[in-house]
This record gives sequence, structure tokens and C-alpha cells, in this order.
Amino acid sequence: MSKKTKQIAIYGKGGIGKSTTTSNISAALAAAGYKVMQFGCDPKSDSTNTLRGGKYIPTVLDTLREKNTVKAEEVLFQGFGGVYCVEAGGPAPGVGCAGRGIITAVQLLKQLRVFDELDLDFVLYDVLGDVVCGGFAVPIREGIAEHVFTVSSADFMAIYAANNLFKGIQKYSNSGGALLGGVIANSINAPYAKEIIDDFVKQTSTQVVGYVPRSVTVTQSELQGKTTIEAAPNSEQAKVYQHLAQRIANHTDSKTPTPLDIQELREWAAKWADQLLAMETGEVRSAAASI
Amino acid sequence: MSKFVDRPRYTCALGGAIGTLINLPRVIPVLHAAAGCGGNIANALNGAAGYLGSGYCSGQALPSSNVYENEIVFGGEGRLTEQIANTLKVVDGDLYVVVTGCMVEMIGDDAKSVARKFAGNRAPVLAADTGGFKGNSFKGYDIVLELLFRELVIKNQSKDPKTVNLWGIVPIQDVFWKGNLEVLKTLLEKLGYRVNTFFGEGETLDNLKNAASAVFNIVVSDTAGVEPARVFEEEHGTPFITVPFPIGTYGTEQFLNAVGKALGIEEAFINRLIQEEKKHFYSYLERLADVYNDLDLQRYAVVVGDSNYAQALTRFLADDLGWLPELVVVTDLLTENEQERVTARFGNYLSPIRPKLVFDSDTSSVKKHLFNHWPINRNQRYYDGFNPAFVVGSAFERDLADSLGAPHLSVTYPISNRVVLDRAYAGYTGALRLAEDLFSTLVGSR
Repeated sequence: MSKKTKQIAIYGKGGIGKSTTTSNISAALAAAGYKVMQFGCDPKSDSTNTLRGGKYIPTVLDTLREKNTVKAEEVLFQGFGGVYCVEAGGPAPGVGCAGRGIITAVQLLKQLRVFDELDLDFVLYDVLGDVVCGGFAVPIREGIAEHVFTVSSADFMAIYAANNLFKGIQKYSNSGGALLGGVIANSINAPYAKEIIDDFVKQTSTQVVGYVPRSVTVTQSELQGKTTIEAAPNSEQAKVYQHLAQRIANHTDSKTPTPLDIQELREWAAKWADQLLAMETGEVRSAAASI
Repeated sequence: MSKFVDRPRYTCALGGAIGTLINLPRVIPVLHAAAGCGGNIANALNGAAGYLGSGYCSGQALPSSNVYENEIVFGGEGRLTEQIANTLKVVDGDLYVVVTGCMVEMIGDDAKSVARKFAGNRAPVLAADTGGFKGNSFKGYDIVLELLFRELVIKNQSKDPKTVNLWGIVPIQDVFWKGNLEVLKTLLEKLGYRVNTFFGEGETLDNLKNAASAVFNIVVSDTAGVEPARVFEEEHGTPFITVPFPIGTYGTEQFLNAVGKALGIEEAFINRLIQEEKKHFYSYLERLADVYNDLDLQRYAVVVGDSNYAQALTRFLADDLGWLPELVVVTDLLTENEQERVTARFGNYLSPIRPKLVFDSDTSSVKKHLFNHWPINRNQRYYDGFNPAFVVGSAFERDLADSLGAPHLSVTYPISNRVVLDRAYAGYTGALRLAEDLFSTLVGSR
């Protein structure tokens, strides 16, 4: 019998660094000796680029568009460290239903039993993050991923998207869906950014699994079409990703988050807006205020 | 959570649109939907409308894009383009109308822009968004009429003071639509008007294209076809009136007076026609007077049907036959405003009768409403039973009638226990047919 594959979904608002983070985690896990698959669930189909030297691969849906049946080897491509790369793909912008496309692609791979046959340790789904419809929730529904992580910066819109994802997780949590592992805090450089994320995870009963600073090393690596793990394995940034990957590999117990409702979220954001303004104008609000 | 729907008496908006289009002369519907839609709707329309049958490009022989998962994911516009092109090659028609199902509406296929690609075709290709979720059959009828009035009817035509258009009787939903349209057309012809009914006997697509030359539009319904009449007025400046569907003397007199007033016809002229028609009507109906009294053919009645039929049947039973309609269940899905308009039609009966009026689309509710209105027999020593009774409704009311031990006649959709060809129940002549059918049911066991 094959070992239990750990299936993980990584969500986040568009442009927040999901694919960069996911690819580096995949690369780090592969470098640590695990068998890994990365499944890009975004119609842009560029999730696995940096694992494959910047090259695009044929997507599941592109292949389906041409013919009715698809074989595993037509859509599975190995990249850095032997990571299996799959892209769900999707329709041209503005037509069809990308959400249904994700469902079709994920179900097809499940039917082909590739997860079992490849004897994988990890499958990472890299999913477009706003969970706009049922299609983008399919990786967190019953029988697909068990753990969800979300990539978020301290920007309000990224947190808003993360909060929406928490709502999706909460909805499916009673019916055997995936639970939340935690937040991967990305682009955390300013001290207040860390505080904002820390406060958000406290409010929503979850945790931060890693803080990833913004780094020029990542940009340099991506311009070469590589992950940081591949291009600069000894850099500080690579250590951050290795640490994050280890944390995720060791992670076992995910929980149901407690998302804020829209009014609570607005109030929470307004409170932070006041605090940041006070910081900018030099007002002292800490314990030192009494001096 | 919304409640479930118990044996609905309509199909979806797509079904209503198809039912409307297949009854226009030489008009070809092109379905943009999954394969099941066309098949299921064809069966619902055929089996539930007095064995309508098919005919040219109708029934199961409808062009359909039959979309599958591939089209849902990538968009079905390409498939639709191909389907229209092939349909134009092999199906001969004068107008092609693309109608859409739920799934292609949800993924945002733009059927209208696909249809526009065929603008140069010898016969026009139009498209209507008729996703089933938009409403029921009546909605589909409205959507199609609005489309045709906007895009097919020729604009800026000079008005002919002797031509009117008449609609509001929904093909198939009114199983007797063809006969009914013919009856009303004949009545108005007696007033010296040419009448376009679009769906009736002898109609051509040119009648519809030239409909803007009519001086007035008559909508024979308080609900169906009213929005299209507004569209018609906006596009072509033609005023309209709505009149309730007429069966028998009271309803038909009301119909003729309303039309006469709207068209500025002299009252005396209208009255003369009414008197003539009534003379003919009573010359037959009076023959039943003996048997009505000797055999005691007065009945309590339950009336179940759409808003057009419910008010007309109740009026006819109460005022023309002297029956006692106790409960009326209107089975349409109506807005509060529409319900108000419909409710206003149930009053001023010649006898002091006040039927209990209920709006409910669920078939199983009819019995519940009856027992709320007329207490059930709980072995009281003295019990005033709901007896002798009659049920006028659809084929769905057979169970109710059986449980009441009452005879039953199917007049409203769905009708699967009768064959209907050109029979009409509208007007004076239709009322005679209805009297024949009701009393034949009563004497049928003799």
C-alpha cells in the first residue's frame, strides 16, 4: 500500500506571491528528499514556471480542449528536484467558466489516480485566492486537500481575501472539507506589518506559520526562471523558505478558523488605520505614553 | 430555505420560449443548452398539452447546441456558431431564434453577439436570453414576444385604423390557445377589424413583422404578455389594453365593451353584436334547462388553474351555469401587484356567491385549502357535505376529484387525459363547448 500523501492547498489574493511561495516550498521539500507535486489551479497557468526554468507546460484543460481523454503523462512534467508539475489551465479570459475548469481538471487527475501511482509525499495546490465561486473551493472540499495555508501580506485587500477564504473553509468544515493550517505572512518588512498579521490571526483563531520578508534575491531568481531554492540555495531567503517548508512538512493539526464578518473586518481595519496614522504623526500610544 | 415545488403547472423560461416559438409559422428555435433541455421540454410540452404532437421543426426535432463539459469550461459560443450555421443549411425557415438554457447563461455565453454574426442571412437570426432560472413558461413567452416586438416588427409603419393585434393567450400553457384565438378573432372581425393573433390559424410571419401597423394592442390577460405590450408601446407607439380572458356571457360582454371603448366604437354597435351572440348562445343553452332541473345538475365546484382561466371558469360556472364555485386556487407565480389585479376579477357575481380565492402553486395544497374552507366530515350527526361537487382543473386534479367522489374535467395545463385539437372555451361559442363537456361528464355514466 502506498503511503499517505499529504495534500495541501495554498490560497492567496492574486499577485500576493502565492506561486512564488508555493514553488519555493515545493523546491525546498524536494531538496529535502520528499516526492512532491505542485498543481497550479489558476487559469493563468504560471504557477510552476519557476520550477521548470521559466517554461510553460501544456495544461490539463488545453489538452482536454483538443481531445476527450487525457493521459497522465500528457499533463505531468518534472521540474527542479523532480517536482511533478501540473497546470489546470482554463478558458480564454472573458469566456466560459474557469471555476468549472478547475473542478474538471482536479477531478480528472483524481480519476487518473496519479497521486497514488506516483507515491507522492506532498501535493501542493496553488489556487487563485478570492474563492469567487464553487470551482475555486474544490481543492478544500471533501477528499482533496486536508490542509489549507493562505499567503497574505499586511495589505487590507490581501487580508480581506484571506478572510473570505476562511469563510469558505468554515462552510466546508462540517462536511469533511480541509481545515486551516495557518497564514504565510509575505512581504513582511515593516514592524507594523508583522503586528497587523499577528493581530488578524489572533482575531480569526489561527496562526502564522512563517514570515517571509520581501527580498531582491527572489526577484533575481525569478528573472532567471528559477526558484530561490534553486538559484540561491545558500541565501538568507532560501533559509526562510526551507524553514517554512519544514514547518509545513511537520504540520499535522489544522483547525476551523473564525472569520470576521464584514462589519467586524471594517472596524478592525479602521482601528489599524488610526494606529498607523498615530505612528506616522509621532503620537505615543505605548506604555511610554504615561511618562 | 425556500420550499419545494409540488407538481408545477409550467415549465421553465426556456420551455415557455420554445412553446411560443414552435407555434409561430415557419419560425425555427435553436436551443443553446445541454442535450437534456430540449428532450425534456419537448416531452413536457407534448404530453401535457392535450397531445400537441410535433410538426415541422418541433417536438424532438429541434436544433440544439447540446453543450457538454468542454463548452461549459471553455465557453459555448463556438459550438453555437457552428450549430446556427448548420441549422441554416439544413432547416428551412423564415426566422431563427436562439434560446438559451441555464448553463450557458451562468457561464456568460453571449448568444446575442453570436446571432449578430449571421446578420447577412436571408432570414433573420435573433437570440433571447431565456435561462430557465429566469422564471416559468409565462416568463419565456414574455421574453420571446419582447424580443420579436423590438427586433422583428418593422418600425415606423403607418397605422391602419382597422387592424388590431391580440395576444396574452399563451400557446401550450393555454392548451386550447389555437381555438381560443380563433374565437376572439372572429368576434372582433364581426366589429369590422382585421386581427393579428400571431399564433392562431392562418397567421403568417408577415402579420407579425407588420404588427406595428395595427392601431391597438389587446392583451387578453392580467399577467401574461403585459410587459411585451409595454415594450410594443415604447418601440412602436401603439397603445394597449388588458382584458381578462372571457368565457361565457359576462366575460365576453366585458371583453367586447372594453375593446369597443378602447377603439372608440359606438356603444350601440357593440350592444347589437352582444345581443346577436347571446341570442345564439341561449338558443342552445336553454335546451339544457329541462335536464338541469330534472336531474339536478347544479354542483359545488373547485376551480384550479392559472390566473387567465381561474377567473373565467369561475365566472362562467357561477353566472352562466348557476353553479357554486366554493374554492378557487390560482396556480401562477405572481407578484403582489399581479395578485391584486387578479383578485379584482373575482367579485360582482350575479348570485351572492363569494368563492374562496387562494394563490398557491402546489398541487397537494388544493385539498388542504378545500378542507380549510369546507370543514371535513368528522362523523357529526348532521354534516353538510361538499356534495354533489365537480372539479374543474388540470389532469393533476384527478386525485382530488377521486377523493371527493366528484367528476372532473381538465381545462387548465397540464392536460394529459384529453386530446385537444381545435377546441375552444373562449367567448360565447367556447362557453357552449364547455357546457357540453361539463354536462357530458355528468351524464356520462347514464
